[in-house]
Amino acid sequence: MHEYAFFLGCIAPNRYPGCEAAAIKTSEKVGIKLLPLKGASCCPAPGAFGSIDLNVWYAMAARNVCLAEEMKKDITLICNGCYKSIYEVNHILKHNDDLKDRVNEVLAEIDMEFKGSQDVWHLAELYYDPKICGVQKIRDSVTTPLTGAKVAVHYGCHLMKPQKERHFGDTENPMWLEELVDALGCESVQYRNKMQCCGAGGGVRGYDITHSLDITNEKMINLQEVGADALTEVCPFCQLQFDRGQIEIQETFGVSYGLPILHYNELLGLAQGMSPQDLALDLHGIDCTPFLKKVL
Amino acid sequence: MAVKKYDNPDLEKKLHDTRYHSIDTNPEFTKKVLDISRTIANMCYQCGTCTGSCPSAPRSSYRIRLFMRRAVLGLEDEALTDPDLWLCTTCYSCTDRCPRDIAPTDVIMAMRNLAFKRDIIPRNFLKTAQLIYSTGHGVPNNDVNRAARVKLGLTADPPTTHSYPEFIPGIQKILNYFELKQNADRMLEGE
Repeated sequence: MHEYAFFLGCIAPNRYPGCEAAAIKTSEKVGIKLLPLKGASCCPAPGAFGSIDLNVWYAMAARNVCLAEEMKKDITLICNGCYKSIYEVNHILKHNDDLKDRVNEVLAEIDMEFKGSQDVWHLAELYYDPKICGVQKIRDSVTTPLTGAKVAVHYGCHLMKPQKERHFGDTENPMWLEELVDALGCESVQYRNKMQCCGAGGGVRGYDITHSLDITNEKMINLQEVGADALTEVCPFCQLQFDRGQIEIQETFGVSYGLPILHYNELLGLAQGMSPQDLALDLHGIDCTPFLKKVL
Repeated sequence: MAVKKYDNPDLEKKLHDTRYHSIDTNPEFTKKVLDISRTIANMCYQCGTCTGSCPSAPRSSYRIRLFMRRAVLGLEDEALTDPDLWLCTTCYSCTDRCPRDIAPTDVIMAMRNLAFKRDIIPRNFLKTAQLIYSTGHGVPNNDVNRAARVKLGLTADPPTTHSYPEFIPGIQKILNYFELKQNADRMLEGE
């Protein structure tokens, strides 16, 4: 069993608790144990805090990493926004002693110290990593194959970009999440401009909601073109933008798509035999029933 | 080759002065942007790949290339008072495609940091900061969600600062160190 400190963030536990429940249960079936990271806070939101003052962003994210350092565990998480904050700050501070000293000056006020002794991983990359889990193990864990559905994939921005601060390689047309989706028995589909942003990041959702929804709408049009039955992603903030966003798009632009949006962990949960109630799919803004009828 | 002459002696002088700066130019601004963004913004050669990659560009007047030029020329007021500064979704497409290996996204973040120092910031950013100060979360829990969590077999509040509020004073100390709460409260006063 590989053990990790599970960093929750805000939107997964406080808006889509099904993602959290699914992550804990699904990962255990493939040999990953998630331990609660007690006292963690918001990552903090890279768009909002990074825009206000990057120094606060470094210090707040470093505090969350310190909690895992005390547990002597690597961090894993299920949100791209959290990944941007926690992974990137950990990465930057490990390679920049000046900045590390400055952050530690702040953390000294609360008797903490960033050491740089742990790493940060997205749960999806652990699923894909053959050293930890790998696609075959995911495939073996499936009890209810999700056959007969076309599922499109949204990678989100902050998981893989900026490329040179990450280790994923190509960011123009990656295919590894599709492999993970295909392993569940459904068919992954390609669509135009797959790597485009969901529109929520950088504080734009709060600053100019119409502008933000217009970006989302472009993605929805591209998804509709290929007849996707559902969209899967690995970021609850993207999920919020696509899921609640579709309702807001209906109100703002008068178009409705009714495309179910599922976090990869929720999809994996369904494939491993969890019921829609176990995943709190009823909390989703867009009804998942048409998709569920197709696959279950 | 004959050099064209102008009647205007002022203009003539300006054109011959290779060190001429517009009065709006602040070379310190360029330095500050380089320092905060930790990227080589001054190496931008204005190819426009960034604007071509930008999801915000087709639906607004926001042009990341323009902001890059402002960074190079030190056009501080023009950059920081432009409302388009806040339309970057930080998707980093421009950063991945930049042929000069610059991170235009980080240039935008640096400019936003500098704008905040001048009290220029959208209110939603400050509200998120206030929420984190009081709860530790930018998106706090609510009753509907608590009920759903219990049904799923989770604790009503996640094992974060929500379940361990004793960690909140530490977070407040960090935010106070940068006077973030005071500034947010001051700017949002009366709302």
